[in-house]
Amino acid sequence: MTETSVAIEDAAAAHEASGRSPPGLASVALFAALVVLAAVVLVPILATALNGFKELGDLQSHPFSLPRAWVWKNYWDILTGYRYWQVLGNSLLIALLTVALTLALSSMAAFTFAHLRFFGDRFLLNYLQLGLLFPLATAIPPIFIKVRELGLLDSYWGVVLPQVAFSLAMSVLLLRNAFKQLPGELLDAAMMDGCGYFRFFFYVTLPLSGPILSTVAVISFVASWNGYLLPLVVLNSESRYPWTLGLMVYQGQYSTAWQLVLAFITLTILPAIVMFLMAQRYIVAGLTAGAVKA
Amino acid sequence: MSAIETTYVEPSRRMSVNGWAIVVIFLPPALLLFTVFVALPIAEAAWYGFYNWDGYGRPEKFIGLKNYGYLVGNATFTRSLINDGLVIAASLLIQLPFALGVALMVAGRITGAVWFRMIFFVPYVLADVAAGLIWHFMFDGGYGLPSLVTGALGLAPYYLLADKDWAFSAVLIVILWKYFGFYTMLYVAGLQGIDKSLLEAAEMDGASAFQRFRHITLPLLGPMIRLSIFFSVVGSLQLFDIIVPLTGGGPFETTNTMVSYLYYFGITRMRFGFSSAVGVVLFIICVTFAFGYRRLVMRDD
Amino acid sequence: MSLRHLTFAAACLAALTAPAFAETNVTVLHVSENATQKALWDKIAADYNAQHPGVKVQFKYLENEAFKAKLPTMLQSNDRPELFYSWAGGVMQAQNKAGFLKDITADVAAVESTMSPTAVDAFKVNGKVVGVPFEVGEVAFYYNKKLFEKAGVKAEDIKTWDDFLAAVKKLKAAGIVPIVVGAGEKWPMHFYYSYLVMRIGGEHALADAKAGKEGGFKNATFVEAGKRLRELGALEPFQPGYLTTKHAESSGMFGDGKAAMDLMGQWLLGMQAPNSASGKGLPEEDIGILSFPIVAGGKGKATDTLGGINGWLVSKSAPPEAVDFLKFFSEAKYAKEAAAAGAYIPVVKGANAVITDPLFKRLADDLAATTYHQNYFDQDLGPAVGRVINDVSVAVAAGEMTPEAAAAAIQDAAEQQ
Repeated sequence: MTETSVAIEDAAAAHEASGRSPPGLASVALFAALVVLAAVVLVPILATALNGFKELGDLQSHPFSLPRAWVWKNYWDILTGYRYWQVLGNSLLIALLTVALTLALSSMAAFTFAHLRFFGDRFLLNYLQLGLLFPLATAIPPIFIKVRELGLLDSYWGVVLPQVAFSLAMSVLLLRNAFKQLPGELLDAAMMDGCGYFRFFFYVTLPLSGPILSTVAVISFVASWNGYLLPLVVLNSESRYPWTLGLMVYQGQYSTAWQLVLAFITLTILPAIVMFLMAQRYIVAGLTAGAVKA
Repeated sequence: MSAIETTYVEPSRRMSVNGWAIVVIFLPPALLLFTVFVALPIAEAAWYGFYNWDGYGRPEKFIGLKNYGYLVGNATFTRSLINDGLVIAASLLIQLPFALGVALMVAGRITGAVWFRMIFFVPYVLADVAAGLIWHFMFDGGYGLPSLVTGALGLAPYYLLADKDWAFSAVLIVILWKYFGFYTMLYVAGLQGIDKSLLEAAEMDGASAFQRFRHITLPLLGPMIRLSIFFSVVGSLQLFDIIVPLTGGGPFETTNTMVSYLYYFGITRMRFGFSSAVGVVLFIICVTFAFGYRRLVMRDD
Repeated sequence: MSLRHLTFAAACLAALTAPAFAETNVTVLHVSENATQKALWDKIAADYNAQHPGVKVQFKYLENEAFKAKLPTMLQSNDRPELFYSWAGGVMQAQNKAGFLKDITADVAAVESTMSPTAVDAFKVNGKVVGVPFEVGEVAFYYNKKLFEKAGVKAEDIKTWDDFLAAVKKLKAAGIVPIVVGAGEKWPMHFYYSYLVMRIGGEHALADAKAGKEGGFKNATFVEAGKRLRELGALEPFQPGYLTTKHAESSGMFGDGKAAMDLMGQWLLGMQAPNSASGKGLPEEDIGILSFPIVAGGKGKATDTLGGINGWLVSKSAPPEAVDFLKFFSEAKYAKEAAAAGAYIPVVKGANAVITDPLFKRLADDLAATTYHQNYFDQDLGPAVGRVINDVSVAVAAGEMTPEAAAAAIQDAAEQQ
């Protein structure tokens, strides 16, 4: 077949495909199934949110209906208290520090591995890749001891540093691949013009790597924001607790008052849901791209 | 795309002073942090595992392999291992196929596909801890979902989370709810990357939908599926945050995972030598899997 | 004036004003959720601060489980509290061994002479005083008088374990949940096991087991206690879903009149109302106290009591002001205020005379007349073994573990120390 006829065939097929829709009944059934699934996914979250508007008695007798009387006080008290904002602020601080340090350290290391050949470079790269083999949880006891030895117990850095360390393997891998994909001629040209590696890094590599840096930043941020085990072991003062620990403390304190606990849960997961809805294109692209490139 | 591709060959650069400056300044911070918080700890875990140590001061009571001996035949630990295995099995046999099925439904041009994908993804965004707590309430016998069922049928309230035979199924349900949306997203991305013309051609040749799926779609999704299996297994081995608020390891320690076992029986009981030993066991399992899987299964990806 | 003079003057001024600016902080860490207690303590702190400018004493609350889990690490960090709540026992001994506690024998000798000797001894390790007690408690059965009446059960008739089981059956027959227990947290169940050990083996039972006599914890007393516990569990006397019920929830259930009995410490009185769904709880005249029954043929006496001796420990680096505050706290007048307000039962001799609340008075009298007072087993045995005894108590009661296996598990944990 000639190239042209193949092209025409392709276009015709594509055109047909775009206009064609699946047969009626099957698509309605499909849609209904998806709606049911969506309901199953959302009911727990909605129930949690709605129950925050109830009195305890109403909650206990009608846990899955709309509130008989809308109690705004539960949510209002939490929002006007300091604890809620304190735990969110702590989470934000820890996450931002983690992202900043991860981006800085991994981009520097990735750049070095991407462009420079020196004795032991292969070995060091493999050394870092060891971090891909096991999760942080396996090393919690010695990490706790290490954090204590360094005097970082009960400090934000005690949480940030191990998190960054464990994310280095994946970040360096992602960034190194991305840096290597930048046209090699750029570097050659820059060197001939007398630009050193440092300036190249800051003025060329980083600016051109926006998407992949955002990906790494997002992965890092989300992992830190939802972290529980590490802060649980390292932090003692409630004033430094991120929201995951704060949530469990609140639940421990108000265990019988489920309407308060559920309201608190709703408010603490709200930032994550809002962030997701606002940036979902980037987050999904980031997380799936991270998966693909790994 | 140009018809002729030029392959760029990086000229072998000899290391200049500038190059060495980069190595000396850019590399050490990452290497140092990694060594202090990743490499050293795992080596220390191996060492601490040989001691009976309560965490204060330095380890003094050397007991050789006794910590590991306590684990062998330890019913609770064995149960934790089995539970992690159950999570992996459920993920591979139920969750991933289910996610794939949903992906097939929402990858196409069905009304509101984008909205469905977003909704399914929402649980993934929540922290495990929050999900565990939400479902602790949802599974409550007195006023959770079970109570709706028992109330409607006129039965006595059923406390799923107190049922030592079935409490772990609650854990599996929560995991399914939380993660299927993520894998659906992965598969959708994979499906959308499949060339439509291949499927068209096959259809015109008379291949049924199932045959098209089996011989074209599935193989082309291969890399994505293998990747999702990898994530699934590694994620399952780290399960902890969901367990604490949902069951606390109970009832009767039937819902522990290896990490929750490490936490409850090692760290909170101030048994640091013992918990390090558990960590080493988990490490060996993780590394064996990661290494083996990459070599055997993902070699060509 | 020359520059040198100015500098000198500035330095003098700084030196003079420095003490006024430097405040000594004394943090007192506790787990109390009792509003009366907290109000009293804040008052004592305020009184002390007013009388001692430059010192700031502050009471700080941490939830019970978090407290037990976090304290060891806190004591190793810079955030350690100067004074902290303690149940004495093995946990305190472990803390002393790790070097966290201060020897205050000389400083508090005067105060200790005003207190009951048992309480004072509880806070000694190897003869030296590391803390000062302030309250004693008793674990007993709190029962709902109206529910007892409804089932035709008379508290005065319950003397032996068999009487007790018969009462449980009667309550069940009347459609009443006989016992509420917060087994989700495990330790409430170990009260049953502990009392049974005490009633069967007498006052030396625990000490003998710790010393390893007759197989240590595998001896006949512990196995027998397990069997009795299983006897109770087999009657299914607990509320539905008891394995996941938390302590606060169970207290609330008692306050809502959903069960007839709760074997608990004295803080139940302060918890049953706030945690109840109605918010009001049971009125005190409807609550009765029943001592744990004796086991026929057992060596324990009905007047042996299980309960806490609680006090404040002093951390090693605490300033002298912390110990000074401790003495201030222990003054008789505050003890009397506590007794009168029903905040707690103080250890200061003679303070109990001002107790008016009948339930509190009953507990205080029991404690004053005790023939043997035993600290909570899970505190006495230390963090690792204590948790095991909690675990096995629930397992045995629910029939998930044989009494022999339970006793063996405790012994194993003790040997692994």
